[in-house]
Amino acid sequence: MSMREQERFCGNCDTHVSYEYPTKIFCSTRYEKGKDPIVDTLWFCEDWNLVSQECYCVQEALRARDKVRAQR
Amino acid sequence: MGRDDCIREPVKHIRVSGTMTVDQLIQQFKNSGSFGAGRLATACDIYEKMLRDNGCTIFLALSGAVVPAGMRQLTADLIRQHLVDVIVSTGACMVHDAIEALQSHHYKANPAVDDLELYKYHLFRIYDVLVPEEGYVRLDYALSEMYGEIADEKKGAALSSREFAWEIGKRLEDRNSILRAAYEEDVPIFMPSIRDSEFGFIHWLHATKAGQKNVLNLDAFKEVPEICGICKDSERNGMIVLGGGVPRNTVQSATLASKKSLDYAVVVTMDRPETGGLSGSTLSETISWGKMKGAADNVMVIGDALMIFPIMVASVVERLGSGFRRETFMQRKKALTGEKT
Repeated sequence: MSMREQERFCGNCDTHVSYEYPTKIFCSTRYEKGKDPIVDTLWFCEDWNLVSQECYCVQEALRARDKVRAQR
Repeated sequence: MGRDDCIREPVKHIRVSGTMTVDQLIQQFKNSGSFGAGRLATACDIYEKMLRDNGCTIFLALSGAVVPAGMRQLTADLIRQHLVDVIVSTGACMVHDAIEALQSHHYKANPAVDDLELYKYHLFRIYDVLVPEEGYVRLDYALSEMYGEIADEKKGAALSSREFAWEIGKRLEDRNSILRAAYEEDVPIFMPSIRDSEFGFIHWLHATKAGQKNVLNLDAFKEVPEICGICKDSERNGMIVLGGGVPRNTVQSATLASKKSLDYAVVVTMDRPETGGLSGSTLSETISWGKMKGAADNVMVIGDALMIFPIMVASVVERLGSGFRRETFMQRKKALTGEKT
């Protein structure tokens, strides 16, 4: 796991599921609280908890962000 | 029975030509009358007989993953063409339908793929079909909102799974959806194992949402008199089972409870009878329970429903011709009671 992936992101939080892979996730915790549940994979909030089994969300969202930046 | 009675009908060998239709091939299978070919030909004959019997209510029992694999359109078409009267389904089959109704898809895949890699990509596998997690998540989000709307409308009153299916079908705009077609054509869909599907698990999300005034209430027992009533009000009952499980048992038990028993039965399955499980149980076993009449036309086709059933439908639709029209159970019932359709 790279240093970037150990950072806190919605994409490595245990309540994340894919909404628009890899850039948007659906957060059930936010939904339960009546907040907008669709958030950026690379965002995070105070309820963050590390996911129990790693996925490619953060890695691919970072790659997608880098690609967008390179095109500018 | 004498020796000559055993060898009355010789096997006729199958002839194939380059221009033959589906039903012409099935007629060749009938000439053979042997093994899977003979059983498939018999299944076509029984389905045709059910459709031409004006007093027969046809139950289609759906289980397994036939919808993700490509049987969604066919099922919706059968409903719209009045070639089935009642659907009894796992919750999952209708979840798969709703996923596609919300513009998500199922994808062809190699079954030898690394499943941990799929997990990391948020892709779910059903043998050689993949569904992206987004399909379920978008459905969850939409369903949770629908549940809130339905709960507010019903003000706590409990729904049967049939009423639930129609409420969901009413809210899906996709004409190719099974749930939508059933809603528009007044064809009941029963989901006796609805809780064991995304429809059930997403109830948790809906019920725990902050500010949710009313919670959707489903009554598992409410559908029992509904489905038994359909059997009871039908002159004859027929079932076509794809797979087995809870949907097959529900149809069979409803015909028994209504003291009607099945007059026709076609079961398409890959399951074996030796384990004692219902899906592989023979239709002869069904007779022992009184769920099917001893004189019923029946056949069990051992094969993949995704191959068998479309062939059955193509053969029978060809026989019926384009001018064939049939009223569904609900249309027949409403005509009798004078209720407007």
